[in-house]
Amino acid sequence: MMNRSQARSLGWAAVLAVCFALVVVLSFKVHAVRSEVLLAERELIALQRETLLLETEFETRSSQRQLAEWNTVEFGYEAPRAGQFLEAERQLASLGETLGPDAPSPIRLARAETTDMAEAVSDAPMRSPVSGATVTLASASSEKDAGEVFAEAFGDFLIEASPIRPARAETPRASVKTFAAGTGE
Amino acid sequence: MNMMAASFAARVATPVIPVGRLPSVGLRQQLLWTARVRVLWLLGGFALIALIALLRIASLGFAGQAPQRTSMEDALLPPRGEITDRNGAPLARAFPAYALWFEPRAMGDTGAPLVRSPEQVASDLKGIFPDIDEARMARRLASGRPGYLRRRILPEEANRVFGLGEIALEIPRETDRYYPQGTLAAHVLGYVVEDEGGKIGMEEVLEKQLSHPDTRSAPVALSIDVRAQGALEDELRRGMLATNAIGAAGIVLDVDTGEVMALASLPEFDPNTAGAAGAKNVFNRATNGVFELGSTFKPLSIAAAIDAGVVRDLGKSWDATPIAVGRRSIKDLKSKGATLNVPQALVYSSNTVTARVADALGAERLRKVMIDLGMDRRPFIELPAKGKPIWPQGPWSRVTNMTVSYGHGLAVTPLHLASAYAAMVNGGIWRPATLRKIAARDVPRGRRVFKESTSHRMRQMLRMISLYGTGKNADAVGYRVGGKTGSAEKAGAGGYNKTSLVSSFAAAFPLDAPRYVVVVVLDEPKGTVASSFQRTAGYTAAPVVGRLVPRIGPMLGVQPDESRDVDISDLRYLVDKH
Repeated sequence: MMNRSQARSLGWAAVLAVCFALVVVLSFKVHAVRSEVLLAERELIALQRETLLLETEFETRSSQRQLAEWNTVEFGYEAPRAGQFLEAERQLASLGETLGPDAPSPIRLARAETTDMAEAVSDAPMRSPVSGATVTLASASSEKDAGEVFAEAFGDFLIEASPIRPARAETPRASVKTFAAGTGE
Repeated sequence: MNMMAASFAARVATPVIPVGRLPSVGLRQQLLWTARVRVLWLLGGFALIALIALLRIASLGFAGQAPQRTSMEDALLPPRGEITDRNGAPLARAFPAYALWFEPRAMGDTGAPLVRSPEQVASDLKGIFPDIDEARMARRLASGRPGYLRRRILPEEANRVFGLGEIALEIPRETDRYYPQGTLAAHVLGYVVEDEGGKIGMEEVLEKQLSHPDTRSAPVALSIDVRAQGALEDELRRGMLATNAIGAAGIVLDVDTGEVMALASLPEFDPNTAGAAGAKNVFNRATNGVFELGSTFKPLSIAAAIDAGVVRDLGKSWDATPIAVGRRSIKDLKSKGATLNVPQALVYSSNTVTARVADALGAERLRKVMIDLGMDRRPFIELPAKGKPIWPQGPWSRVTNMTVSYGHGLAVTPLHLASAYAAMVNGGIWRPATLRKIAARDVPRGRRVFKESTSHRMRQMLRMISLYGTGKNADAVGYRVGGKTGSAEKAGAGGYNKTSLVSSFAAAFPLDAPRYVVVVVLDEPKGTVASSFQRTAGYTAAPVVGRLVPRIGPMLGVQPDESRDVDISDLRYLVDKH
C-alpha cells in the first residue's frame, strides 16, 4: 500500500513527465515550423530569381532598339503632333465654339460642379449623337458586360490594367424602366 | 502389493534421469542460460541502437539545423549592383546564367569520362547547339581536358544537355553582367571584365558602390531616361546613315539641373560581348571627341557682348564686309549685304559681324566668358572619358579672339557646348553636367555667367534662327525649338581639310521656358539625296533635332502647344523686313 507522500511524489513525477513530453512535442513543432519557414524562404528566393529572369527577358525583348525596329517595319507610328495635345477640358470645350468676326474671346468663369450634378451626368445613359436616343451596345444587350467577358477570358487580375471597361450603356431592361419613369424623352 | 512396493523401491532407487545422464542435463541448462544471455545482449544492443537513434532524432529536433541555413538577404544580394535609368528601368544587372563545362573527372574513376563515345555526344550536342563544329567538339571531348564548352547557354538548352545523361557535362550556374538594352547607352554604361571590374563608363565610375556588399543591394539610378536615349540613338543613327557620316554624337541636357537625359555616341559597341579583349568603337565622341564646333559658338560670343554692354542697340548696323586680320581674311560664306545688325548676323550666320563684335568686346573679356563656361578644361561629367579641349594658350591675340568668336581655333567636346548653351538659356547659371539622378534639393548652385536679361535676349534670337535662318529644319511645330547650326572644316595635317566637315546643331526647347538643351554633332557628313546634296548643318544635323524633339518632348514633360511661342515682337522687324 502506498502512503500519501508516496502518492504525492508519484503524482509530481507524472506531472513532470507530462510537462517534459509537452516540451518535447512543442519543440518538435517549433522546429517543424522553422523548417517550413526555411522552405518558404527558399521558395521565395527561387521565385525572386525567376522574376528577375523573366523581367530581364521582357526588357531584352522589348528593348528600345527592338521597339524602334518594329515601329519602322510593322507599325509606322509617328510622334504625336502638337494639335493632338490638349491642355485641359477648357481647351477641349473651346474647340466646339465658333466665334463671330471680330468677337473678343469669351470670358469664362470658373464654377464648382455640385456633386449631384456630376452624378446625374455620370449616370446618364449613352446617347446617340445623331438621334439623341439612348444607345444599347451589343455587348450590353448580352447578359454579361464586356468587363465580365474579359475577366472570364483573362482572369480578374488583368481587368484593372485592361483598356476594356464595362461600357456605360443601357441594358434593354433598364432603358425600359427609364422610359416608363417618364423622363420626358 | 509386494510387487507394487518393489517397483516403487526400484523407482526410488533409480532416479528419473539416469545417473549417467546427469552431466548432460547440467550442460543443457548452461546452454539455455547462455542462449538467454545472448538474447538479452541482442535485445540490449537493439535497445541501445534505438536509444541512440531516438537521441539523434531528438537532438535534431531540438538543435538541428536545416541542412543549409540560407539567409534571404544573402541569397538575393547580387554579386554586382544594378544600374537603372531615372525611372527605374534596368540598364545593367547581374543575371544568373548557365555555362557548359566539361569535367572529365566527374565520374570519379579512371575509366572513360563519357558514357558514350565522344563522337556520339558531340553529335547530340550539335542537335542542341546547331552552330558548333561537330568534329572539333568530338576532339575536344576526347582530349580529356576540363574547360568551358560554351560560356552561356539558355535554360532550355541546359535542360536538354542535362537530358543527355552525361555526368561529365556540367551546367554550372554563373552570374553574368547583362545589359538588357544591348548597345543602348553603351558609352554611358561601359562594360565589365571578369575579375577586373568595370571598364569605361559608369561601371568604372561606380565600381566601389556596385561591388561593395553594403551598397550593392540598392540599384543606382542614372540621370538617363531610357526612352529619350532610345529616341536619340535612333534619330542619330538615321541622320548618320542618311548623310553617310563616319560618326555622330548627341546630348540631351536638363538646363536647370545639369542632368544628362540622354548621351549617345555612334558608332556604338555592345557591352554584352565586350570582355577582356575590349571592344571596337569605345571612343566616346560626345565627351571625349574634341571638335571645332564652328558657328554654334556665335550665340555665346554675342551673349558675352550683350552681357558686357558692348551690344546695346540690337538694331545697330555692323560692317559685314570681309576683314583682313594679319595675313588672314575673315569672310562670310554667303554675303547678305554690306551691313547687318546683330540678330541678322545670327540668323544668317555672319562670321564678319561676329568677329567685329568680338573685336569690340576684346580678347580678355571673351576669354573670361569662355573660361567661366568651362571651355578651358575637360568637361564636367563623371565619365572617365573626358576630352581635353584644344585651348589657345597665353593671352589671346586679336586674330584668336576673332576666330574663337565664330568657333574656330578652339576645339571642345559636344558636352562643353551643351553645358554652355544650358547656361545661356536657363537665366545665365552654369552648372556641371552629371549622369547621376539628383534630387531637387541637391542641384548644385552653379555659377552665374550671363545676366538674366542677356539670357532672355538670347532665347529670342535662338528662336529667330530656327524661324528665319539656318535652323528651319529643326523647328518642330509646337515645341518652340531654337538653336544654331555650325559647320566647321576638320583640322587635319597642314591646315583645314576642305572635304571633311563637322556639322553640329545646338538647340534648346521650349524656348519660352527652357527645359532641355539638345546638341547633335555629325562627323564628316557627305552630301546625299537625303540631305539635298548639302553637307552643312542646316541640312544634316538640324533635321535630326527636328525629328528628335517631338519624340522626346512629351516623355520629358514638355507639352507642345501651337498657341505659345517666344515673344520676339521687338526683334522681329530687325530681320523680317516685310
